[in-house]
Amino acid sequence: MSSDNANILEHHDRHTVKAQRVALFIILVGIMISLSYVISNQLFKFAVMAFSAYVTPESEKAVAEAGQLMQSMTVVYNGLAVVLTIVLTIFVVRKFLATEHVNRMAFIRRMTLYLALTIGVVVVLFPFFWMLCTAFKPSGQELVISKTNPFDIVPSEPTLDNFRRVLKVDAASKSMASVDAIEQKKNFGTYFLNSLLVATTAAFLVTFFAAMGAYVFSKKQLPYKQQIFMLLLATMMIPGMMFMVPQFFMVCKMGLFGTKWAMFLPHLASVFGIFMLKQFMDTIPDSLLEAAQIDGASEWQVFTVVIVPLALPIIMTLFLLTFLFHWSNFLWQLIVTNFENPLSITLPVGLALFRGQYTSELGLIMSASCFSIVPIAVLFLFAQRYFIAGMTQGAVKE
Amino acid sequence: MAITSSKDTAISFGFLSPFLLFFGVFLIFPIFYSFYLSFFGSPTDYSLANLDFVGLANYFRIATDMQFWWSLGVTALYGLMSIPLGISASLALALLLDNKLFGKSFFRSAFFLPNVLDMLVVGVIWTLIYAPKFGALAQITTWLFSDDNFFNTTGLLGSPMTALLAVVIAMVLKGAGFGMVLFLAALQNIPEAVYEAADIDGATEWQKFKHITVPLLRPIITFMVITGVIGSLNAFTEIYAMTSGGPQVVIGGETVGSTSVAGYYLFKQFDAGNYGYAAAISYMLLIITLGITWLQQRFLNREDGKEVRK
Repeated sequence: MSSDNANILEHHDRHTVKAQRVALFIILVGIMISLSYVISNQLFKFAVMAFSAYVTPESEKAVAEAGQLMQSMTVVYNGLAVVLTIVLTIFVVRKFLATEHVNRMAFIRRMTLYLALTIGVVVVLFPFFWMLCTAFKPSGQELVISKTNPFDIVPSEPTLDNFRRVLKVDAASKSMASVDAIEQKKNFGTYFLNSLLVATTAAFLVTFFAAMGAYVFSKKQLPYKQQIFMLLLATMMIPGMMFMVPQFFMVCKMGLFGTKWAMFLPHLASVFGIFMLKQFMDTIPDSLLEAAQIDGASEWQVFTVVIVPLALPIIMTLFLLTFLFHWSNFLWQLIVTNFENPLSITLPVGLALFRGQYTSELGLIMSASCFSIVPIAVLFLFAQRYFIAGMTQGAVKE
Repeated sequence: MAITSSKDTAISFGFLSPFLLFFGVFLIFPIFYSFYLSFFGSPTDYSLANLDFVGLANYFRIATDMQFWWSLGVTALYGLMSIPLGISASLALALLLDNKLFGKSFFRSAFFLPNVLDMLVVGVIWTLIYAPKFGALAQITTWLFSDDNFFNTTGLLGSPMTALLAVVIAMVLKGAGFGMVLFLAALQNIPEAVYEAADIDGATEWQKFKHITVPLLRPIITFMVITGVIGSLNAFTEIYAMTSGGPQVVIGGETVGSTSVAGYYLFKQFDAGNYGYAAAISYMLLIITLGITWLQQRFLNREDGKEVRK
């Protein structure tokens, strides 16, 4: 009798547990469907929107025309989002049904994990998506939002006007071009090229000097080598802000204020770079260098033929990281910029200047921001291995 | 290669000289030059030529400058908020990603991406997201609640109570991916056998986390604290982009900026042409930094028994 009772209780328990699991699963699928639909819909809509804005020629009615084009493609992006969501749902439900009962809790836990990660990605990347969308909104329309759905942030009537205006290739700027050549040069195309030039030159020089220096610290003899190395490491602890005043004075006294040289000259000695490259070069066996020397290689050849090719991945990493540093080195570039000379204005400085002029024109500010964000994001996509490896180098070495 | 000859030395020096030149001129010399400049006054016309020698006046001025000490307090608060929040967010992401996952590298890259983007631009974007009336946050809260909510009327950056926190949130979301990669690398180095042994002893998930995971992650945490402290003392761009040191509050008859961190205050003095005073402030900050570093070396490293940066 008592054992029967226990059996019934157990049976009953198992039933409620099963029901709970299914209920949990249904809730999760609900969240997944809404997330999947909103995200894919917005991404497809964005692609359609960018395409419509791009193919519509510049004219008075361009905004309306692009809007109509988008309207005609509503089915495409909504349809794609629906199809994708349905496929995903079927896939997940089938997988759940195929999972044995004992493993279903683990399945639900994994699904929660994926949903949490997806929400995390949305939160982290939302600002940049919002930037891209706002950049396509016509002037004065940035504040208009869809009353029914604030998550629909892709504009329905896109335009490229903001990009034309920050590049000063729109009609109003063109007519002004003959009047004021300097003012005309103050556009984000110029700033972009300036930043590119400064960051590339600096990255090249820094990497070159650091590679030669690291070679000495790793493989060569030098009196007081250890002491010098410790001195280098000690300076890494000093916040860069402390160097602002003296370096500014030095640059000005050298007569470099407002030139591109001033933008990177004080930052050519990278202690971090020496440290990173030395760590790597320490792993290159000495016997390789000796073999090269026996073969009659000169000191310079040992460096260029043996060391540099072997350390190339880490050298690439340093190059990219230095490039990035100078691409975003706002404070220093701000204080040595001569605002009269458009050839010395770099992207971050240009953006700060621009924001002061067009405080309320969100679309303009956002399209200007794209010039800094989009190239780096694309570069990151292709070279992320180098970025991630390099940025974590100093820390994980124990 | 063991014998040091003068020829070897010359060659080594040749290789090292370009680096040493810039290192000496732009990193070592300024430490002394800054000290020298701190004894001079401020020109009235932004010129660098005619600075008056004022002796220790700048240092006396620092001692009684409420604004400066306030900015140090804000910096400390900024560090106290951003370092623990940053570490928790990175650790949480790393723990989530430390599973066998489909699309793991996608998630890793997505979280890491904001890290490589320009701080100023990210700050500007977040300012517009936080902005009352037209910002993204205001739009969403208006839709959810009513027009009359805090995010729509004042905005997070508009109130002295929340402005610093808003900056911290934006920066934590930007930087979390970096710590995440560090933690992830360390987590994957912890052998599975350690956890299995704990399982046999009947340890709960929380006990395993507290007694196995956290101690093994200690070097990373130490590293993040050190870089976090330096980052707080260096904080400038995010403040410049998002709040310009404001909103202002009046405390004890003195108007101070509720997000005016030391780096921003230093820039303000410099920008106003108070070069000598700015040099003196940077010297004070340098001394404070060295003090903190020394404390960290003593306490954090003694606990681990090993240095993180080595």
